[in-house]
Amino acid sequence: MATTSAAAPPRKWMQVPRPLQQLFDTFPLLAYDVNALPARAQSATSGDLPTLYVFSTEEEALLGAPSFNPSCLKWQTFLKLAGVEFQILPSTNHASPTGALPFILPKRSSPTDAPSPIPSSKLHDYALKYGTSNPPEVSALRLDAYQALLDGPIRNAWLQALYRDPEYTDLLDRFYITPASSSYWVRGALRHQLRRAAEAEILKTGPGGAASTALSLLVDEDSVYRAALNALEALATLLSESETGWFFGAETPTIFDASVFAYTHLMLKYMSDAKGEAGEEQGSVVASRRLGNMVRSAGSGELEQHHHRLFELLWLGDLSAEYSNDKA
Amino acid sequence: MASSPSALGNPIEAATAKIDKAADIVHKEAATIVTEPKPHQHQVENPVIEDHLLAPATVNSIEIHGANNTRRGLLDHLFKPLVEESTSPDTTLGDVLGRISTATQKLTKLGIFKEDGFGVFISDARQKQQEQFQSPTDRTELDVSIRVKEQSRLVFSAGTDFGNAEGSAYTNAVLRNIFGGAETLSVNAATGTRTRSAYNAVFSTPLNGNPDIRLALEGLRSSTQKPWASHDEHLTGGNLRLAWSTDNGDNHALGYSGVWRQLTGLAASASPTVRADAGDSLKSSITHTFTRDRRDSPMLPQAGYLLRTVSELAGWGPLKGDVSFAKSEVELSAAQALPLPGISVGASFRAGLLYPLPKGYSLSSASVAPSRINDRFQLGGPTDVRGFSMGGLGPHDGADSVGGDVFAAGSVNMLLPLPKAGPTSPLRLQLFANGGRLVALQGKKAAEGSMSLDSGAVASGMKSAVAELANGLPSVAAGFGLVYAHPVARFELNFSLPLVVRRGEEARKGLQVGVGINFL
Repeated sequence: MATTSAAAPPRKWMQVPRPLQQLFDTFPLLAYDVNALPARAQSATSGDLPTLYVFSTEEEALLGAPSFNPSCLKWQTFLKLAGVEFQILPSTNHASPTGALPFILPKRSSPTDAPSPIPSSKLHDYALKYGTSNPPEVSALRLDAYQALLDGPIRNAWLQALYRDPEYTDLLDRFYITPASSSYWVRGALRHQLRRAAEAEILKTGPGGAASTALSLLVDEDSVYRAALNALEALATLLSESETGWFFGAETPTIFDASVFAYTHLMLKYMSDAKGEAGEEQGSVVASRRLGNMVRSAGSGELEQHHHRLFELLWLGDLSAEYSNDKA
Repeated sequence: MASSPSALGNPIEAATAKIDKAADIVHKEAATIVTEPKPHQHQVENPVIEDHLLAPATVNSIEIHGANNTRRGLLDHLFKPLVEESTSPDTTLGDVLGRISTATQKLTKLGIFKEDGFGVFISDARQKQQEQFQSPTDRTELDVSIRVKEQSRLVFSAGTDFGNAEGSAYTNAVLRNIFGGAETLSVNAATGTRTRSAYNAVFSTPLNGNPDIRLALEGLRSSTQKPWASHDEHLTGGNLRLAWSTDNGDNHALGYSGVWRQLTGLAASASPTVRADAGDSLKSSITHTFTRDRRDSPMLPQAGYLLRTVSELAGWGPLKGDVSFAKSEVELSAAQALPLPGISVGASFRAGLLYPLPKGYSLSSASVAPSRINDRFQLGGPTDVRGFSMGGLGPHDGADSVGGDVFAAGSVNMLLPLPKAGPTSPLRLQLFANGGRLVALQGKKAAEGSMSLDSGAVASGMKSAVAELANGLPSVAAGFGLVYAHPVARFELNFSLPLVVRRGEEARKGLQVGVGINFL
């Protein structure tokens, strides 16, 4: 920057002469204590724990409640499984070094030290390094095969429902739009951007989509939901083969349990019929387009039971304690 | 402006020549210092001309040649008063000449005519009409003919620009006099050392044909690097601005602006404070700017003073938006030449305050959002408090300068002529000392997870932040260097050392280069 360049770092061939260096060292003549940080920074920078930046609300973050974003929830779940102690902070993708949440910021070693963020791609290693209990490893081959079900059909159905189904516009707003800005125009622009991005994602990996175009008309909604239902059935079948109640017969929950839970929890919580009764016929479940109902009716309810087990293991303790404290 | 007495064969012609020249000079003045119009003065040295200037006169006709694309209404607006006022019987030739000069000055200020294309010709109407009839009085009836050359209506340009602490390259297209009423549309694209990209379009028009009142509508989109706080800021927005200058040369601007700001592209080393402010916010605000510039030269002032105030109200009441505050800034600088050739002393002072307000119409509320990094003040840098890096003063989180809510800064300097260059050269030697304080509003200690404060906490926090300004010495640096005053920008090369700092502030020891327009 031509306009602010100053005092080039000393190089060997233009070393500052010793007497001059000694003179320089006497300046500044007086150094006071550091300036205190602004009010808004203080809540973000205090705390003795590493901070996981996720999509959440201020209130839910204080309780450590599950994030409403599947990939944030996956890592939040896995870090808890690994026994890592952390606090969560509501944030946006703009804060992330990779452009996407979540990431973890280790605690500061000194009040003005800026630790390097750890992106989600390195959170697995981080959890194993700093966690107190190591979740069992899963063979990469099996993991990849079944992870594809989550990353493909199930994710697509989640995107389709949340971003494109008019019924969930309120939910989309509550999750991602309302917290970003109070302005009608900014919200409109963000909603549009998010929807276009979701459509592009569905078309990239989903059925019935031509990868080259992003026309919303090209998304075949029924086949998106049908593919998700098949994937959920496959997961339920896989789970029914396990004797431990966790995927792949592991003794304790693994990273894959966390990945599945991230979707089943959000689908059950936000996309179920109020009655909680799912139609028995596969056709009517697809027609209802309620992902929560699909989770509930997959196989003979294995996924719902799996969700409840994991939720009780990780959250019910803290959350019920927090809730009862609030009431008291 | 010297007309020798012997040349006064025809006094009217001489006066005409004189006004022609006077108008020329006025045009030049107006063209070079459009922002600082000087009241036109008749410098009457010659008693013979003085006599004639006091002679009764009236305007018979006014012709304007060359304004082919300009609306008749606009010209009428400028010249009708000239004709109407001149009908009164006690109007003198001097009055008429003065009015013509004022009107042509306004014409120049519209910015649609070429500076060198002006010509004013005045002739005595009676000479032509003598055969037909005699004038009922002995008043001189004047035919006024004004020749103008319109500037090109469409101009493309490209070049480089210096702003404060930033160099940039731009391309610009200007569409002038679009509807014949001196309306201008300017479309600009730029990229620079800190600006990744900036696009804006401004439509501006004089109101009521008066070049001293302009209304401008602007749309803008830009992406700027903020390396001192490890992020990029994207702006998308617009503003509506009314700018006017008063008769004594003061400038006012009153505007509304709505800007969607996106703080994004954080560096890996970005501090938690910057991460907490990442994301979207809409600022909806009204701003008033007042400028009184009485300096002899903006780049190298040796006499006079500058007073500028900026007041902004954002988000309160009907303004809505995501941020709500009142922000005020004042700048005062003065220079005085010493009775030694080319030596002058100067002093500047700046201060500002940002007061967070609750949303809606109330003034007290339990939840007031503290300021964000893109609204807070930054202080320090080669054009600001010298001897500190950009944003080098005030609160720092790690390497990030996170800004403050209250600041005060001052500087004193002495300009000396260089031995060889002499006192008329734009090159000067400078001795300076400057310093300042930038303080942030404090929240409650160990915040309980919530980012908002209540009005009481804001009020007491502001009070202690202002008190903190005077706690101890300000952060100070002093040094010397060279100043070069180019017409486009001022260049400084300084050597300085910090005398007083706060830990965490980024002081510079040694050389520092500054390029800018507005220096502390």
